[in-house]
Amino acid sequence: MDIIHDNYRLNDAYDELIGPDLQPRPAARALFEYLSGEDWAVLGERRKAVEAAIMSMGITFTVYSDAGNIDRAWPFDIVPRIIALSEWRRIEAGLKQRLKALNLFINDLYNEQLVVKDGVFPIEVLQGSKNFRAQCQGFTPRFGVWAHICGTDLVRDKDGTVYVLEDNLRVPSGVSYMLENRQLMKRMFPEVFQGGTILPVDDYPTQLHDTLAALSPRPGDRPVIVVLTPGIYNSAYFEHSYLAQQMGAFLVEGGDLVVKEDDCVYMKTISGLRRVDVIYRRIDDDFIDPDAFRPDSALGVRGLMRAWRAGKIGIANAPGAGVADDKVVYTFVPKIIKYYLGEEPILANVPSYLCMYEDQRDYVLANLDKLVVKPANESGGYGMLIGPRANKAERAQFADLIRENPRNYMAQPTLSISTAPTLVDDKLAPRHLDLRPFVLQSDRLYVTTGGLTRVAMKEGSLVVNSSQGGGSKDTWIVDVEGA
Amino acid sequence: MLSRVAESLYWMTRYLERAENTARLINSTTQVLLDLPKGAYFGWDVLIHVAGLDALIRERGLKVDEASIMAFLIEDEGNPSSILSSIHYARENTRTFREVLPMEIWERINGLYLYIRDNARRATHSRSGRYDVLNGLIERRQSIIGLLAGSMSHDIAFQFLKLGRNLERADMTTRIVDVNSAVLLPTDPVLAVQTMERLWMSTLNALSAYQMYRRHVGVHVRSQDVVGYLLKDPHFPRTVYHCLSEIEGCLEVLPHNEKAMKAARQAYRRLERMQLGGLVPVVLHEYLDQVQADLGAVHDALSRQYFYLHQQQEALIAPGQ
Repeated sequence: MDIIHDNYRLNDAYDELIGPDLQPRPAARALFEYLSGEDWAVLGERRKAVEAAIMSMGITFTVYSDAGNIDRAWPFDIVPRIIALSEWRRIEAGLKQRLKALNLFINDLYNEQLVVKDGVFPIEVLQGSKNFRAQCQGFTPRFGVWAHICGTDLVRDKDGTVYVLEDNLRVPSGVSYMLENRQLMKRMFPEVFQGGTILPVDDYPTQLHDTLAALSPRPGDRPVIVVLTPGIYNSAYFEHSYLAQQMGAFLVEGGDLVVKEDDCVYMKTISGLRRVDVIYRRIDDDFIDPDAFRPDSALGVRGLMRAWRAGKIGIANAPGAGVADDKVVYTFVPKIIKYYLGEEPILANVPSYLCMYEDQRDYVLANLDKLVVKPANESGGYGMLIGPRANKAERAQFADLIRENPRNYMAQPTLSISTAPTLVDDKLAPRHLDLRPFVLQSDRLYVTTGGLTRVAMKEGSLVVNSSQGGGSKDTWIVDVEGA
Repeated sequence: MLSRVAESLYWMTRYLERAENTARLINSTTQVLLDLPKGAYFGWDVLIHVAGLDALIRERGLKVDEASIMAFLIEDEGNPSSILSSIHYARENTRTFREVLPMEIWERINGLYLYIRDNARRATHSRSGRYDVLNGLIERRQSIIGLLAGSMSHDIAFQFLKLGRNLERADMTTRIVDVNSAVLLPTDPVLAVQTMERLWMSTLNALSAYQMYRRHVGVHVRSQDVVGYLLKDPHFPRTVYHCLSEIEGCLEVLPHNEKAMKAARQAYRRLERMQLGGLVPVVLHEYLDQVQADLGAVHDALSRQYFYLHQQQEALIAPGQ
């Protein structure tokens, strides 16, 4: 049975698995050989089995509404996204280079600001940054590293070039789904994993643990590590709990921790207070310490910033790391890499127009129907304008927003992001997707093997966020040469 | 072990145990009804009474016929002790400490919740469906206990699970025993004795204790023997005595256990001193109330010792809200 010819229609986007000749790309050949031996009914059954497994494993994200809290099953597509190892090695090197440079940049911003003095980074961008925290100035955390966990979004344009779309340096999420997706695939298709050409992904929890342990202020091989969650009502609570479980760390809420007069952080246990060494916080800067940031926060820990500055606690990501997680700062990353590392960037940035500069703003305003406009500090795909799909009124409204606050907006040409075959009503159809690898840095640098592939399940849609109807796929890095 | 997590673990097993024992209570009562001879009477409101839910029923203005009471005890989400509510709470609690449990536990508890959510209706509407569904629930709950016993380190977290389970179990055993004191017996003395025997047999069956009772006590099912067995037998795992000794065992490995231990030993001593020979229903009912109060004192002591740091925080936040 020829599954590709029967059902597949390529559009002008690059397809990750299928070449222009409608043949599988080399890295996907083994998969399609396997698939063509299965019949469609069996595949449909496997998909149902996967859905049942997702329900019973309770892999859900929670949607909160007036009608009550609904646990939605994580939408998962059983056709994996495949990348050849040789290509992946280059991406991996590019991601490490990028995070290394970003951390040097953040540390510089909070200290000497040489990058500004040397005229590489304009002072007005810094002044307009919502995520620059004055409370962090004059401090250097361990190893000079601020962003220990980074989720970098990658997309591929129609010519095959991989671009960095954004760097998530605040509290990036999704890695638990990457791990669970692989568990699901191994449960459902054990036979395709035989032969060892698909590289494993499951060392992430250990790497995360070691990355965090390196931040401990006390010597010793078993530091007390906690994952600080806003609680069960957060949509990523599943992930917080999952990572704590995988690392053997404590999952704590703000109310479980207290900072004492000795500036140390303690957790409240059944036998009294116990000292904590490292906090992997999954709460935004604004909420982590009511003394230093929002005084109305009930999620954080009073005195946490004081403890951190006194060197009594490691916090990942460090408060203030989000200064580099800004879509305007993003446009400077190629320059930042050259400035700090003296290297050419390995991964490309999407060409961008900054509305704060008059000439670029004029271009953006004149070409709103061709561009994607993004606010500097939103995440989750909110507050964006996709020019070609917007109507006149929406574009006019955005033009006003840009004129009112130019520093807050940047624009990019609409990329034709790549597709991969996705099972839709028992047929394979192309759906757009992106990739979020996770990069770790403390005393080491580490990149996940692949990452989380998010896919827009609706035909033609470019929005992959789970809060807006996106799903995910398992991501395979395949050693074609070694096979 | 975080205070908050210890408290959640404790309540998680209490809820699971409550759901299981409510299922046992309902099964036993349904059996009792089938066995009642002419002239004997049993009201469904007794179930509500032994479960301590009279006030809620009155407040809600619910009828006390079989269908309403079944719906109330099995699937009513407005009743915090209904089977569905209990399992729902257990599941929500489990979410908050998945990291301290073996990984499969969450799947099982999630599966238990999905099972009861999808079958609760069937359990309330027909007696045969009820038996089936409730037994399915008991089986699933037992497999969770088995999995915990076989795959969880007997660490501090485990002790809190065990404490919750045994405290709730002892309490529910007294409530299940209490049901029979509310049956009006036929006036014929021979028939009355026969009826009583059948009732106690149902109770033993509901607690999966009949076989063990026959082996260790005898074939005759007499009130005082059964009550004595279910309260004081040291070896059968659902008796009050056994649960108390399990509680003591848990407390022994916990830090700062003095006050909770004292409360447990007090409950123990009072139980040992109870004279169960020639007992009339009214006195039995009082005895059972006493046991429940003693178990409550153990709970209070645990709570003050181990959950205090966490609760103190709640108390600090509360006034502002």
